[in-house]
Amino acid sequence: MTDRSVPSSAASLAAQTTVPGTVRRPAGRALWRFVREQPFAAAALAVIVVLVLLSVLAPLITPFGPTEQNRSAIQQPPGGRFLMGTDDLGRDVFTRVLYGARTSMLVSVVTVVAGGAVGVAIGIVSGYFGGRWADSLFQRIMDTLMAIPGLVLLLFIAALLGPSIRNSIIALSLLVIPAVNRVARAEMLRIREEPYVDAARANGCGLPRILIRHGLPNLFAPLMVIASLLFAGVLIAESALSYLGVGTPPPTASWGRMLSEGTKFLEIAPWMVVFPGGALTLAVLAFNLLGDGLRDFLDPKHRR
Amino acid sequence: MVEYALRRALYGVLVIFMVTVFVFLALRAVPGDAVRIQLADAPGVTEEQIAERTAALGLDQPVLTQLFHFLGGAITGDFGASFSDGSSVGGLIADRLPVTGQLGLMALAIGVVLGVVIGMASAVRPNGLLDQSLRLVSVSGLSVPSFWLGLLLVTYLAVYAGWSPPLIYQGPAENLGGNLAQMTLPALALGAAAMASIARMLRSSLLEVLQSDHLRTVRARGAGRGTTLFKHATRNSLLPVFTVLGLQAGGILGGTVILESIFGIPGMGSLTFEAVQMRDYPVVLGCVIVYGAVFVVVNIVVDLMYGVIDPRVRYR
Amino acid sequence: MNTPATTTQPRVPVPGGREPLLAVTDLVKHYPITKGLLRRTVASVRAVDGVSFTVGRGETVGLVGESGCGKSTVAKMVTRLVQPTSGSVRFAGTELTGLRARELREFRRRFHIVFQDPYSSLDPRLRIVESVGEPLVAHRIATGAAKRRRVCELMELVGLSPAHIDRYPHQFSGGQAQRIGIARALATGPDLVVCDEAVSSLDVSIQAQVLNLLKKLQRELGLSYLFIAHDLNVVRYLSDRVFVMYLGRIVEVGPAAGIMQRPAHPYTDALIGSVATPTSSGGFRRSRVVARGEVPSPSRPPPGCRFHPRCPEAFDLCRVQQPPAYRLTGDRLSACHLRAGEAEGVRDG
Repeated sequence: MTDRSVPSSAASLAAQTTVPGTVRRPAGRALWRFVREQPFAAAALAVIVVLVLLSVLAPLITPFGPTEQNRSAIQQPPGGRFLMGTDDLGRDVFTRVLYGARTSMLVSVVTVVAGGAVGVAIGIVSGYFGGRWADSLFQRIMDTLMAIPGLVLLLFIAALLGPSIRNSIIALSLLVIPAVNRVARAEMLRIREEPYVDAARANGCGLPRILIRHGLPNLFAPLMVIASLLFAGVLIAESALSYLGVGTPPPTASWGRMLSEGTKFLEIAPWMVVFPGGALTLAVLAFNLLGDGLRDFLDPKHRR
Repeated sequence: MVEYALRRALYGVLVIFMVTVFVFLALRAVPGDAVRIQLADAPGVTEEQIAERTAALGLDQPVLTQLFHFLGGAITGDFGASFSDGSSVGGLIADRLPVTGQLGLMALAIGVVLGVVIGMASAVRPNGLLDQSLRLVSVSGLSVPSFWLGLLLVTYLAVYAGWSPPLIYQGPAENLGGNLAQMTLPALALGAAAMASIARMLRSSLLEVLQSDHLRTVRARGAGRGTTLFKHATRNSLLPVFTVLGLQAGGILGGTVILESIFGIPGMGSLTFEAVQMRDYPVVLGCVIVYGAVFVVVNIVVDLMYGVIDPRVRYR
Repeated sequence: MNTPATTTQPRVPVPGGREPLLAVTDLVKHYPITKGLLRRTVASVRAVDGVSFTVGRGETVGLVGESGCGKSTVAKMVTRLVQPTSGSVRFAGTELTGLRARELREFRRRFHIVFQDPYSSLDPRLRIVESVGEPLVAHRIATGAAKRRRVCELMELVGLSPAHIDRYPHQFSGGQAQRIGIARALATGPDLVVCDEAVSSLDVSIQAQVLNLLKKLQRELGLSYLFIAHDLNVVRYLSDRVFVMYLGRIVEVGPAAGIMQRPAHPYTDALIGSVATPTSSGGFRRSRVVARGEVPSPSRPPPGCRFHPRCPEAFDLCRVQQPPAYRLTGDRLSACHLRAGEAEGVRDG
């Protein structure tokens, strides 16, 4: 090596070490910023927390059991002992709404988490191999699932498998998987072009490490948005299934079942459909608002 | 554009084919023999009768042979015969599809009209009282399950107006009034999500246009806000309408299954639901394929309409 | 795939005659362009169209050319981030192009790459200790506390404080982030580091610091560099030999000083003309030649000499015949018909 002239003076490290800043950003501060920027979504989050607490603490809140029948109080209107009235078997509607929340939330959580995991796995592998045969194969399957209107597919699969909570989850997952796959794949197509993925390959990382270590964390934000919106959709779909009699089997309390039981008594006991449906709508609304708020919060371009 | 349309159409055909194969194989994978399930209730059924029936339905053949046989028939519009009464599945669907078509189009029309009106009204004075309350309406519209909304509407009218929709179907040609009396409530319930979606999109696209420099100039020259709004609303509402059609078509089509059952409408939805309950597999198969085909076609039309409405859209 | 005529591609003998650390021969990368309903391949982008060079142990080889000439694709093929269409990449005597994924991963500890944009080449969600330590984990060299220790050493090696290893990339300046990128490249103790526009996105004063760091590291660790840049000044400062690339091909080769003082190809002339050379630094260069027009698309390279549509000195022969690599005095090669008269011979393929 010959020594050549140096274009400028030698490196002075002190001059460069200028960026201080916190090492960790506290989660609390991000939450506070979310509350300030997206008050509606924050309120929706609070509603969700309250709903979850109510359903978890149901036995402490209500003196009745979810299947407890009061023969002396059949189809009582709301008020007095029965906050939301009673149904045709004398069961307390308020109690069943709380226990129904358990069923609906549980089915939805398991569906979104399990279906989401499968959707993410397919999506990131597909996205990483974008355009190659593995991608084409997966995407043709996803397109097939998405070509059938959601509720039709749901009814078809659930009826084939037979009514049970486990089978509802399987059927509902078939709606979640393609939707999550779409988001995860699009994000992964973007991420795989990032130089840090090239760097990871140069580091000697294998495919699993690239996808899990570099893919997942970088598509986490859009996933939260879609998960929240899907949760709302799954809540409706689960109720629709139970309403049609192919979802949660009786006597387990579920909002959809309560609606279908109430349909026969619309004119004489409207509270049997008003309250479970109202609870369902409130939960769906909360998750929709949360999803919208998260999207705006995480992506400034979406702000209206 | 033409090449894109052609490619899109070809892929659509492929997807419908894949849906057919998927549904067919899923039905065959179900545990339990279709014939036994069907004849199970009849007293004194012999093994010979079961074998005879199985052979008559072609169910003794290998699955792939059955699939090719079905595909061959489906191309010519022959979807086989119903297990329950032997009537042609194609004929059943041909009877029921127009009813569901009417319901779906009514839902869409209600959604578009209400959505455009609400979107425009919201944009007149953004963040005003009217805007705030209309936005609440549209946010709720997106979250209300259509079947619950349908039930609420019936309850409300029954309790407060003492009126219930007829439960016996009449075709629009027979008795238009009776037909609409039955169809309007489910259409309203189905169209609520589309309404909400259109209102939201139209509101934000109008606010964007109204803030543009061009329109500031127009209004500075003396044109009223209402007039400018109306002129631009008509042009700008087309894009949201088609976007929403693409987004909500699946919801409206799927929703017919449940709303037709509630309102006693003999369309594709109730046919599918009944067939699923009766395990009438040929009918289920035909219905799911037709739902899929309609959905695929709607999506292709929406994609192509984007290019017609907005020439800036470029197809890959 | 059509193999391009290799006769025009300069190959330079390795000083000392030892086997070079890296020997690249007739490297080609074509990207197909598809069209129509059936996605037929109608043409291809010839990003790299037959490139050969070597890098000796402890040597720095510069690769210079405008953006879009294919030099980054060369960098990615050498480090096997992109699979070549054809050609050979031999690293320490082993052919890399045919290696299976597992065999290749073994070799990856012996070469690494530093990218242009220091921020986007560091995963924004990972702490520095994770990014820099990743090669150690991937090659099962060190994890946990041992990894942290090694990352601290590496941070000191590149002139950063080991106290900062738990920070995220956005908490560093561009120059610091690029030092982190260099630290990562050095984690496994490689023989070869490919620097793909490694200082191009930095301020001039920071560029100098990073260049000095690279020089220091080479001295201390005996590294070889393939140094890729569009700026001849930057390349000259570090390189022993320089390869000039235009539209997927190498047009001139020679020692760094020689090329700067006396370019033997009109394109090199133009490249020097487009570089702002400080007047104070002795050899002042006047911008004699300025290339006209835009770089043609690599999907439809011009016939004959690829530079002829932009070359101020082009004549009839240039439009029809691709010039061979003429061997000139002083270890120089030039693929220009104008040099035919002074050539000592033609480098054969």
